[in-house]
Amino acid sequence: LNIFNKLRYKEIKENDISDIIEELRMELLESDVSLEVTDKILEDLKTNLIGNKVSRSEDLEQLIKKSLKKSLNEILQYNKIDSNLVDNIKKSPKPFIIVFFGVNGVGKTTTIAKFVYLLKKNGLNVIIAAADTFRAAAQEQLAVHAKKLEVPLVKGKYGGDPASVAYDAIQSAKSRGIDVVLIDTAGRMNTDKDLTEELKRIIRIAKPNFRILVLDSLAGNDALEQARYFEDAVGYDAVILTKVDADAKGGIVLSLAYELKKPVIYLGIGQDYENLISFDPSWFLDRLFS
Amino acid sequence: MLDNIKDAVRKFLSGSSSYEQAVDEFIKDLQKALISSDVNVKLVFSLSNKIKERLKKEKPPSSLERREWFIKIVYDELSSLFGGDKQPDVVPDKIPYVIMLVGVQGSGKTTTAGKLAYFYKKKGFKVALVGADVYRPAALDQLIQLGDLIKVPVYGEQGNYDAVGIAKRGVEKFLSEKYEIIIVDTAGRHGYGEETKLLEEMKNIYDALKPDEVTLVIDASIGQKAFDLASRFNQASKVGSIIITKMDGTAKGGGALSAVAATGAIIKFIGTGEKIEELEVFNPRRFVARILGMGDIETIIEKM
Ligand SMILES: Nc1nc2c(ncn2[C@@H]2O[C@H](COP(=O)(O)OP(=O)(O)OP(=O)(O)O)[C@@H](O)[C@H]2O)c(=O)[nH]1
Ligand SMILES: Nc1nc2c(ncn2[C@@H]2O[C@H](COP(=O)(O)OP(=O)(O)OP(=O)(O)O)[C@@H](O)[C@H]2O)c(=O)[nH]1
Ligand SMILES: [Mg+2]
Ligand SMILES: [Mg+2]
Repeated sequence: LNIFNKLRYKEIKENDISDIIEELRMELLESDVSLEVTDKILEDLKTNLIGNKVSRSEDLEQLIKKSLKKSLNEILQYNKIDSNLVDNIKKSPKPFIIVFFGVNGVGKTTTIAKFVYLLKKNGLNVIIAAADTFRAAAQEQLAVHAKKLEVPLVKGKYGGDPASVAYDAIQSAKSRGIDVVLIDTAGRMNTDKDLTEELKRIIRIAKPNFRILVLDSLAGNDALEQARYFEDAVGYDAVILTKVDADAKGGIVLSLAYELKKPVIYLGIGQDYENLISFDPSWFLDRLFS
Repeated sequence: MLDNIKDAVRKFLSGSSSYEQAVDEFIKDLQKALISSDVNVKLVFSLSNKIKERLKKEKPPSSLERREWFIKIVYDELSSLFGGDKQPDVVPDKIPYVIMLVGVQGSGKTTTAGKLAYFYKKKGFKVALVGADVYRPAALDQLIQLGDLIKVPVYGEQGNYDAVGIAKRGVEKFLSEKYEIIIVDTAGRHGYGEETKLLEEMKNIYDALKPDEVTLVIDASIGQKAFDLASRFNQASKVGSIIITKMDGTAKGGGALSAVAATGAIIKFIGTGEKIEELEVFNPRRFVARILGMGDIETIIEKM
């Protein structure tokens, strides 16, 4: 029997799989999965495979891909959120306060506009706090959205205190019985100590029920740096990934799940209000293995 | 992973392995540094193969200077990619000069338009801005606020959605008023899928203006998509220069290298903050040092 086994099965050695692993490495890296996460995932894969017995007729490449897909799928489960945010809001005491933050130009303001659209469609009423009092026309940009979407907006003065804009919006929501307060904040680099302090202050004063980090799907290795930085600085409940329509593979999704175990709740897939879709982990897998 | 190339070289020099083996290891670490700086993966392999060839063919100097020699070869190959070891010439070679800014959504075009206007104004040029983004809410307000700040006139047509017409009328107006440098801000676009028509619009603006220079504005944090994106832009309207924005963050900016490879354009400026004066002329040495994760390239190059 042993002899038969030897003929029919063989043990996987490092050499047998190294070419395929290198191929997979290229694919992960080209999908903007961060280098360190790519290395770790492939190391895990190797450890799992080496020493296993496979039937000689089995296609090793298929086996490895299947195995990777399975483990990626497990990792990606961390991207899932336990409950739907909109349902959550409906069940929670009002006003429900959400703050959005992230580095410059990722799509925070546009995502807020999309959120207003989504919440309104779900029968919730919304007020926006334009707490970006820094960037040129940040106020006007939100004002255009608020007008189009027919929701109230609390504006700030340029150079003014963003935390007090957030505070005013919350007070207004309370007195008017508004369900949700969406706080837009200025873009800030993960190197800027002062602006980090400012964000902390906004959060201290607004006491948000939910914090959203907005990340750009076009970003490479730095996206994970950003995610780590904001986690350490203020923490967040979920990530929204934007500009997915720009054909980026969105490897950050995997890096986030592996390193930070953070859920991704929505994807921005265009510049229109309806271009916001719920995130599903299989989305990333399909893209990666397409 | 090794933190930087410095460690790689140190490891190499202290190692007891053969020269061939050491080169291979060094190359591997170099690849890692470049990839984690977001240089296009394929570009990393072609670059590192070239470097490997040189390291194997050329004679290494005494082991004491070997570290410098390694870095020098890496630097040579990287800098030859973006046109050699020299600061770009940013003063226009003719007047009037029309610059059109293009790039993906949120890359920093409008902010950079303001910064460029300020930069050239300080150099003594008569500068004007044209706002041809008809999509982003308050795009024109943004440009106007920047123009007001630096006292540079801005042309735009609120409520009109004909980007080509606006760009054309704006440039013509400023040309007739003898402005010397005219900077045209355009809408963000990526051109994939639904946005094919946006890429066409850009091409139409380009054809209507025949600008002296198309500048691709690239976010330092852009990842692997940079190469393909830049190629698309280049196909629609020949890209002549690149500006890397948001270099004040932690992103290394390797995507810009991919864009250079894809377009043949040169990098002229980097943006180092949100403020209007936070624009610097591109410095190849500093940039390569950042990509490689080491600070003392300057001294090494000087020594060689
Ligand atoms: N194609 C595409 N563009 C998007 C998406 N989300 C945002 N954008 C665009 O990205 C650009 C920047 O978006 P903003 O919402 O202003 O980004 P922001 O993070 O608020 O920027 P700052 O406040 O300046 O830091 C705009 O042109 C948006 O239309 C998306 O999902 N797809
Ligand atoms: N930290 C930092 N922020 C920058 C830099 N350049 C631009 N920004 C910021 O990036 C964000 C986007 O800049 P915009 O100029 O609006 O970008 P855009 O390319 O015109 O955007 P669209 O017109 O929507 O495509 C803003 O918050 C800017 O302040 C830079 O060099 N450093
Ligand atoms: Mg904003
Ligand atoms: Mg703009």
